[in-house]
Amino acid sequence: MNSFFLILVVIGLSVAGYAVGRARSVFAAAGDVRILHSLPSYYGMFVALGCGLPAILLLAIWLIIQPQIVDHMVMSGLDPSIMPQNADAYSLMLTDIRNLSSGNATSREASPAIVAATERYLALQSIGFWSMVVGVVCIAMLGLAWARSQISRNFRARNAVEKIIRALLIVCSMIAILTTVGIVLSLIFESIRFFARVPFFDFLFGIHWSPQTAIRAEQVGASGSFGAVPLFAGTMLITLIAMLVAGPIGLLSAIYMAEYANPKFRGIAKPMLEVLAGIPTVVYGFFAALTVAPMIRGWGEGVGLDVSSESALAAGLVMGIMIIPFVSSLSDDVINSVPQSLRDGSYGLGATKSETIRHVIIPAALPGIVGAFLLAVSRAIGETMIVVMAAGLASNLTANPFEAVTTVTVQIVTLLVGDQEFDSAKTLAAFALGLVLFFVTLGLNVVALRVVRKYREKYD
Amino acid sequence: MLRNSIIKAIPLALAGVIAVAAAAEARDQIRIVGSSTVFPFSTTVAETFGKTSGFKTPVVESTGSGGGLKLFCSGVGVQHPDITNASRRIKKSEVELCAKNGVADIVEVKIGFDGIVIGNAKSGATLNLTKQQIFLALAAEVPVDGKIVKNPYNKWSDIDKSLPDQAIEVLGPPPTSGTRDAFVELAMRPGAKSFKMLADMRKADKKGFRKISDSMREDGKFIEAGENDNLIVQKLQANPAALGIFGFSFLDQNSDKIKGANVAGVSPTFENIAGGDYGISRSLYFYVKSAHIGVVPGIQEYVTEFTSEKAIGDEGYLTDKGLIPLPGADREKYRAAAANKTNLTM
Amino acid sequence: MTDATMNSKPGTEIRRPTLTGERLKKRYAAERRFRLYGLGSILTAGLILVFLVGSITGTGYTAFLQTYIKLNISFDPEFLDPAGTGDVAQLASADYGGMVKKNLRDNFPEVTSRRDKRKLYNFVSPNAGFDLRTMVIDDPSLVGQSLDLWIKASDDIDMLTKGYVDRTLEESNRRVSDTELVWYDKLDSNDRIESRFNTDFFVKADSREPEEAGILGAVTGSLLTLVITLLLSFPIGVMAAIYLEEFAPKNKWTDLIEVNINNLAAVPSIVFGLLGLAMFLNFFGFPRSAPLVGGMVLALMTLPTIIIASRSALKAVPPSIREAALGLGASPLQVVTHHVLPLAMPGILTGTIIGMAQALGETAPLLMIGMIAFIVDVPGGFTDPATVLPVQIYLWADSPERAFVERTSAAIMVLLAFLIFMNILAVMLRKKFERRW
Repeated sequence: MNSFFLILVVIGLSVAGYAVGRARSVFAAAGDVRILHSLPSYYGMFVALGCGLPAILLLAIWLIIQPQIVDHMVMSGLDPSIMPQNADAYSLMLTDIRNLSSGNATSREASPAIVAATERYLALQSIGFWSMVVGVVCIAMLGLAWARSQISRNFRARNAVEKIIRALLIVCSMIAILTTVGIVLSLIFESIRFFARVPFFDFLFGIHWSPQTAIRAEQVGASGSFGAVPLFAGTMLITLIAMLVAGPIGLLSAIYMAEYANPKFRGIAKPMLEVLAGIPTVVYGFFAALTVAPMIRGWGEGVGLDVSSESALAAGLVMGIMIIPFVSSLSDDVINSVPQSLRDGSYGLGATKSETIRHVIIPAALPGIVGAFLLAVSRAIGETMIVVMAAGLASNLTANPFEAVTTVTVQIVTLLVGDQEFDSAKTLAAFALGLVLFFVTLGLNVVALRVVRKYREKYD
Repeated sequence: MLRNSIIKAIPLALAGVIAVAAAAEARDQIRIVGSSTVFPFSTTVAETFGKTSGFKTPVVESTGSGGGLKLFCSGVGVQHPDITNASRRIKKSEVELCAKNGVADIVEVKIGFDGIVIGNAKSGATLNLTKQQIFLALAAEVPVDGKIVKNPYNKWSDIDKSLPDQAIEVLGPPPTSGTRDAFVELAMRPGAKSFKMLADMRKADKKGFRKISDSMREDGKFIEAGENDNLIVQKLQANPAALGIFGFSFLDQNSDKIKGANVAGVSPTFENIAGGDYGISRSLYFYVKSAHIGVVPGIQEYVTEFTSEKAIGDEGYLTDKGLIPLPGADREKYRAAAANKTNLTM
Repeated sequence: MTDATMNSKPGTEIRRPTLTGERLKKRYAAERRFRLYGLGSILTAGLILVFLVGSITGTGYTAFLQTYIKLNISFDPEFLDPAGTGDVAQLASADYGGMVKKNLRDNFPEVTSRRDKRKLYNFVSPNAGFDLRTMVIDDPSLVGQSLDLWIKASDDIDMLTKGYVDRTLEESNRRVSDTELVWYDKLDSNDRIESRFNTDFFVKADSREPEEAGILGAVTGSLLTLVITLLLSFPIGVMAAIYLEEFAPKNKWTDLIEVNINNLAAVPSIVFGLLGLAMFLNFFGFPRSAPLVGGMVLALMTLPTIIIASRSALKAVPPSIREAALGLGASPLQVVTHHVLPLAMPGILTGTIIGMAQALGETAPLLMIGMIAFIVDVPGGFTDPATVLPVQIYLWADSPERAFVERTSAAIMVLLAFLIFMNILAVMLRKKFERRW
């Protein structure tokens, strides 16, 4: 028996609660459900939630707290002579006790004191577990009984249930915040260690990126400079090129699909474009590096331009293709939802279809279209493989699309999977880059939100 | 409403799985992490081991040497990997991290070499390079007329009249790569040392010398191209004027499309690299957590398979995959170390 | 018009449209141009797609074939069961590799030198012995018999059959030497070489030998991962969108949530991997390489896409629907679940499909949680070690063996087939919801 089984029991009780609640409400209404405040199913839901919710909450809290208490009790019960002195040794011994208790590998031979501690650990754990089972089942039963007792003809079950569901909706929307907190937390410690070695402003405003520091101790680092500006400039350049491709193609496709095409054509074209978003980026990478880049180089040489074989242009163009569906599909939905009355009004004034689209529909759909563009930009900023394969790792501070540039994401990946030791400045720089990119895009999004607000007010 | 309750049940069920998964369960499958360079060899051994021994085939992850050692050193117990592959030796700081986390006993096994070749497309010029020429072509700063200046060479023929009249363009590994590290040590440094001026400097000011010998140029002639060697090979084909630095196994497999440049008169063939005549190669290792031997089934057998003559011997199956074998005596030494679980000494 | 005339200052000319055919013609021309631009963009995107898929198919279709060589195999008891016990354990542990080698030597009695023998052994897959082992274990009566059997060729020979080896090159520049060509041609002229449909590609998992490598493991891993991703991101995403769009008060707090969601869409996917490593693996103690963790990380990654798309879909539902439902006495939640949500479903599905497609093609975040791995066993559950299709593609694309090139493309074709299947599903669902309302 484990906690998973316990959850099944609670879910089972909740289902039973649903039936009980429903039956009870019908009984309270003496068979005539019309005189109830809410539909019988709401009474059922109410009892189910009253039974399940507190039980699951208790279970979750118990599962989080119990290990802490057990650990503390076991460790404080240790013989003082073998009591570890510092925090590292403490956690190591604790891990050994835990590993021993589950028949796992340990870092040392088990001494009798450790074996005794392990036995204590196991005993405490099983006491904890069984008291949890009893507690949770009791709470579930009590909750069921209480919720059932609440039911009467005038009890507003729907309002109660909806309140709970609304709380659930709020929790769901908070997951975005939690994810953000999680991301910052998982980046910040390594970033702080990085900024202890490389000054914060050198990193943020330095214009030279060259992590040529040594991998082995006996080597001397060559020019190890961590100036992130070229990386951000490269990211912006490639994103701009990508949007120059995806923006017009995507938007025009969306307009055509929503306004001109017959439903059959749209039914084929829309999913077809969506396939573009799902082609693995490795494929786009090969396409960019082996087809597009040599082609651009050839053209460039033809007209006397000096084109690097790894150009920002190749990576940007191909990335633009990849994000077309983000613009086209979402814009298509938005354009479709512009009320027909606006179109009819415009036609009635004698405008042609294209005039209607340009002067009425696009402005009306603008907030949604901006949202689609923002999503596409986001995707372009976050994309890695295409740039790794087609634009390379050379950090040039340039606005020339024919030169090689590199992006933040490429550097993060390269630094993380490298052969250097994990706490070297190089690996830590990946975390710092991630953190800074996070805040840069946050800033951009705040600005974008402001802009969207402004337009939205104009056309509402 | 019912649909709603089903939807709600899912996160709850997942919470249950969390609780189940949190308990460390016994593992009957070896877990290996580490370098992407050792990955092809390690996976070949793992597969053969899985097919012949009756144990489950180990799971081999490609995480990079640094990431692998970090995972390896994070503790003892089945939730941590048993073996890590590395394309460089473990560092002192990593051994200390290991010890701090209770990973005190580590067995080190060196499995062979990975040849590093400089190559270009079949249609390009055949190159005969000296290490000095390589240094002159790729270093950020080079000595010209007794002074250290920013690298002035744009074409190969600027360095030496015998070299082709084409622009210098070399695709190579990034500074996070062990291949780059080995290339710098085995090609660039000897190249730099061949100048008397720099050799003198090395005696007086080692740091200053290394700064010159280890710095690759950043003006677009040397292009850092990531670690996908297949991509480098294909880029070379698309651009016959470019050279690339990559692993020997990729030259071996693509001998109809690309060719290796001779370095100091020696061509990069299997025999020349194995014999030590072709000087640019790097050592490959793996590290085993002794505490796991006997707990996770099959580790000892896997290590035996990996160190056997049939795998890493002169005609072992790993040579088909491009591994350059160690000299016989070294193989003996590491085989014995693996069998006796000899602890790593730095 | 009269109003305008009266209000306009004296001396200002009134702009009147010149209602000539000239102008109308111009406007119609502009109309046609605009329409063509739209059609042109769709066709451009379509052409690129066709080109991409075409070039992938061009290199990938050969992977669906595999070369077999007909050899006379004698199941020599000397190798399999010297003691004649008939014991299955003995049969399982016998030296099948040695038996294959001996049979090869018997089939080519003229080969004597050690060098040539090595080349000869390279003719058949190194795993041929394991196939024979399976045969013998299934049918122990084979021991002692001698049969003509089709044996799987090695990757080099397979490449030769498929025409990827240029015979005109110098011998040193080919993977297949002159002597091997002679043997091959001899076999070929005796009809002992055959290309067959490569079933192994669909029923096996990864292998280091190209002729043995299959995608079943990766496909299963992808399915398991996507199930988790969908189960988590779809309900959470839609519920979050409902709250933000229908219930949330417009204040600083919801602004913060909105900015946050937009920002998460721009976070590089590998950072989600770091989050997964820190939170799911280190904090919660989930197993590494598990589809469960992969699915959760990808769910976090696709949530913003789904939320943003769902919000615009909800926004697009006309207020009159809500007002009508409210007027009939529905509670706000009933308005949403019974009326607004079904109407918004097509748009929500669009967002979900794009998000899922993105999740299906993603590699980078899986690196940190251990799914970029070599795994030979097909995963059987959500916590078994597994890899996914794009990772398989990435690993094969990075392998030196030439035969992996076509397999890489073939795996991409399978991935695209998946994607198209998902899209068709979405189209059908969209239609269903559109018809109902």
